[in-house]
Amino acid sequence: MAEEILAPLAGKIVKMFMEAGKTVEEDDEALVIEAMKMETPVYVPCNGTVKEIKVKEGGEVEEDDVLAIIE
Amino acid sequence: MRPYFENMPEFGKELKKGALKRTEENLAEIRKAEAEIAEAVEKVKNAGFPTEKINARGQMTVWQRLEYLVDPGTWCPLHTLYNPADNAEGTTSVIDGLGKIEGRWAVIIGFDNKVMAGAWLPGQSENILRVTDLAKRLNTPLIWLVNCSGAKLPEQEKFYANRRGAGTPFFRHAELAQMGIPVLAGIYGTNPAGGGYQSISPAVLFAHKNCNIAVGGAGIVSGMAPKGHFDTETAETIIEKARHFKSVPPGRVEIHYNETGFFRYVFEEEKGVLDGLKEYMGKLPAYDPEFFRVAAPQPPKFSTEEIARLLPLAQKTVYDFDEILSRLTDGSQHTEFRPDYGPEVYTGLIKADGFLLACIGNRQGYLGKDYPEYADYPGFGGKLYRQGLIKMNEFVTLCGRDRIPIVWLQDTTGIDVGDDAEKAELLGLGQSLIYSIQQTDIPMMLVVLRKGSAAAHYVLGGPTANRHNAFTLGTVATEIYVMHGETAAVATYSRRLVKEKDAGCPLEPVIEKMNALAQDYYNKSRPLFCARNGLVDEIVNLADLRKYITAFAGAAYQNPKSICPHHQMILPRIIRG
Repeated sequence: MAEEILAPLAGKIVKMFMEAGKTVEEDDEALVIEAMKMETPVYVPCNGTVKEIKVKEGGEVEEDDVLAIIE
Repeated sequence: MRPYFENMPEFGKELKKGALKRTEENLAEIRKAEAEIAEAVEKVKNAGFPTEKINARGQMTVWQRLEYLVDPGTWCPLHTLYNPADNAEGTTSVIDGLGKIEGRWAVIIGFDNKVMAGAWLPGQSENILRVTDLAKRLNTPLIWLVNCSGAKLPEQEKFYANRRGAGTPFFRHAELAQMGIPVLAGIYGTNPAGGGYQSISPAVLFAHKNCNIAVGGAGIVSGMAPKGHFDTETAETIIEKARHFKSVPPGRVEIHYNETGFFRYVFEEEKGVLDGLKEYMGKLPAYDPEFFRVAAPQPPKFSTEEIARLLPLAQKTVYDFDEILSRLTDGSQHTEFRPDYGPEVYTGLIKADGFLLACIGNRQGYLGKDYPEYADYPGFGGKLYRQGLIKMNEFVTLCGRDRIPIVWLQDTTGIDVGDDAEKAELLGLGQSLIYSIQQTDIPMMLVVLRKGSAAAHYVLGGPTANRHNAFTLGTVATEIYVMHGETAAVATYSRRLVKEKDAGCPLEPVIEKMNALAQDYYNKSRPLFCARNGLVDEIVNLADLRKYITAFAGAAYQNPKSICPHHQMILPRIIRG
């Protein structure tokens, strides 16, 4: 089962904690999105392995963009 | 009304392994900052003479008196670091807080007899006025431990006179008496002049056998009848009189027990005075808590210790407000008012020690598409928008109607700005909230969890709601200012930058000033600064917030000035629909 991490809001990726191929646990910090001067942490939704990361640190995202896939 | 309150919906969730791991660093930072506050508190406790020296005189220190007087585990100190005049002594020389005596809540204050024998110092009268305001707001007894040597004479011009000067507390004591709020005083040591009025202005006086209270003490009586200068003859007279009055000071027990009867009771031992106060507390009117409890008290389902993981010290980091609240309420239960409206603000009913409280707090983070509804920019928690302001107005008004005390948990950057916000009436709605708060006449307490900024700090139950705000707490994450330092620097210097640019002058000097101003704002918004200057009444460890909320609830319900029977409350019914 693969699970997507979606962007909860539009903004800039200011921190990336995930690496493709690495195992992650539910509630780990996946990345941080900055918008309106505030930093919103995004958490990993389930235990698994990072199959794919679709964004880069410094990149802009829109709300509901797929940020990564956990398998 | 049991079905409404006994088992309210549970909220919050257990911290999983990932959350525990990623919050370790924040936890460590919070602990470090709390240790720094504890260090500052320790300095206040160690101000003046060492405890051993006071004990060697056969006296207890104010700290020892408080420890003996207050029921174990109930002491909630306030104003410990308050020192607005930056006294060299590091304190205003009064120690105060909320605590239980013989099972009843009281506001308790004592002169620090280690510091200049409890002298009046700059900032002290303002400290005392805050304490009398607290007793007035909570309608609880005020208990004094008087041991006051009078004014620190070389600095009298800083506090003796004025509208809120050292004499004002005596009028406040009279006001409390008029309101039926008992003020009891345990009296120790030498209390001349101001100390005499500190002693006589309460309602019932419990005296230690060696104490004295007087309009003028030995120092004044020895040196009265000035002749324009001092000479050897005068000095010899002063020495003789001073020796006499030291051994036979004015206003001894034999005068004010045997002759005037001002002292209602006299005790041989220092502890006897405190035992007398304890016994008397048991005679004062107080409801049994069962009268007001809506459910049996229970601890939160999740540990209050976890709040230090959930509240990011980093001011820009978004967090889940509901998770923090769930660690403060009985059984981690609540009933939310209008959850689908004004998402930037939490409003709901909670329980603390089985008492019903209302809670209002700032939710954080992105508020979803199409909010605020009046603008084309995204809304973020921490800011206040039209719906949130309307919701708070409604909620506060209903709390006033149902006589439910309110706990505010503030972390705000301000009210939304710009033409869209003006058209949405935010200026008027903010002032409407101030009106709504003012007309409730219910006790409120505030915790500035992180930011208190702009007008939002006022309207979210801030200390500026001074007739209803019993006390305001800060945390190690608290910062309070009219606006962020960098914003202030832009507001101050933007025109100057334009002028310098147009004149072809270098910008660096202005930039330097901007950086200096931003740094100054930072320095003057830290928790210690806030505590020293009275922007908050105490900096409290995050794990102790529930203790203060519980104390507030217990004190507010001990002897409320008006009652709404549970089955006549309307707010729970409106929530249920």
